[in-house]
Amino acid sequence: MKKVFLPFLIYLAFISESSLVQAFLPHDNSMDWQLVPRFSMVLILFVAMYVNTTYGLLYGLAFGLLTDLLYTDIIGVYLFSMAATAYITSIFSRYLFGNLIVTLLLSVVGVSILEFFVYGLNSLIGISTQMLDVFLYKRLLPTLILNGFFAILIYYPFVKQLNQIKDTLKEN
Amino acid sequence: MPQFFSNKRLIILLVSIIILVALIGFSMKKRESLTLPEQFLKDSAGLTQTIFYKPANTLAGFFENLAEMKQLYKENQMLKARLDEYAKLYVQYEEVKKTNETLKAQLDKEEDLTDFKVREGTVIGRSPDQWNQFIYINKGEKDGIKPKMAVISPQGFIGKVTNVSLFQSTVQLISDNDRTNRFSAIVQGEKNIFGTIEGYDAKKQALVFKKIPVDAKIKKGQKVITSGLGDVFPPNLLIGEVIDIEPDEVGLTQTAYLKPSADLYDIDHVMVLEREMPAVDESLREKEEE
Repeated sequence: MKKVFLPFLIYLAFISESSLVQAFLPHDNSMDWQLVPRFSMVLILFVAMYVNTTYGLLYGLAFGLLTDLLYTDIIGVYLFSMAATAYITSIFSRYLFGNLIVTLLLSVVGVSILEFFVYGLNSLIGISTQMLDVFLYKRLLPTLILNGFFAILIYYPFVKQLNQIKDTLKEN
Repeated sequence: MPQFFSNKRLIILLVSIIILVALIGFSMKKRESLTLPEQFLKDSAGLTQTIFYKPANTLAGFFENLAEMKQLYKENQMLKARLDEYAKLYVQYEEVKKTNETLKAQLDKEEDLTDFKVREGTVIGRSPDQWNQFIYINKGEKDGIKPKMAVISPQGFIGKVTNVSLFQSTVQLISDNDRTNRFSAIVQGEKNIFGTIEGYDAKKQALVFKKIPVDAKIKKGQKVITSGLGDVFPPNLLIGEVIDIEPDEVGLTQTAYLKPSADLYDIDHVMVLEREMPAVDESLREKEEE
């Protein structure tokens, strides 16, 4: 039961991204903000920060591949970006003390690293044609705010669970 | 502070970049069908998506209703006015339909190029990063859906089916900027003006309608429909309305910007169209070869 808990939770977050975008997010033409939920990425970042780097890297690879296969046409973009993001963030977290503010900051940094990776790769391939300034104001900023809220929301319950998982790992 | 990248890690990074490029190169090729593991993954994810999407959609619908309540009175007034117009149009339509039928009967023409078969589907999700404009519907190969079929919502043309697994399929919207996502279309008017729809301009929030002849005169507000050339999509599906026209960079053609007639975000139910009559009769072609 405990072993399936983490993958199952991340999978739920992963599926909810797609329904959320379709059902809830504002598509009002007057604002034209692009809010992109990266909930599974935020959860993976938490794992990378609070359990260990290997776990974060593995989950990043697995869910990156899943994102590529299910939500995009091209395999590789998310596989690389999500794993690299999880790795970089977990390295940062080694030098910082883990409290709410630091965790929030690191998740926001992580999500922006992911967004930049994906934006860069998609621009190379020709999928995205957005200019950099439009990307920064209309997409990155709202996305960071949305995912920051999500990180605050899950911080207390999720970190508690992660610490328990880390303890059981140590015992074995 | 230890070194950020040790030699071993640097090599791993380089190898993974090579793998990344290889994978992207492999998947950039347009594949006709999905591999078996891909299909299996898509199907099982589609199942969970269906379970998830229903409650989410009901909740979203509730909030939408609250927002709509405010405008109800105004809308009602407007709709009443439109109703009279509708009655008039309906009479005209019936008349035209009858003449069309008699004329067709005189010509002995039974099949029509514009005939198509309709299958209905429900949207279960959308690609969360908004670079790719894909939606997922709950009908797949089992229900007879094949790649390249046209997909419409009640308001108009929205895109085409790109890949199909057993129980669900992926629809690429017309607003997707993929270089293979192009549609031949016509500006409706006294004379048909041809062009192709090539993606979406995010700044203008409009579809880009390119390769219009330079001497063609297009007015704002004219309707654009699918052409039906290339025997994949049925003709006469409404795509949008011209909001802006400008000459091309080189000046050889014109580019128009279209406001899509269908809402490309708020989509619940879609219809997948299959064209019934192939453009060229196969038996005829064989005879010619003999």
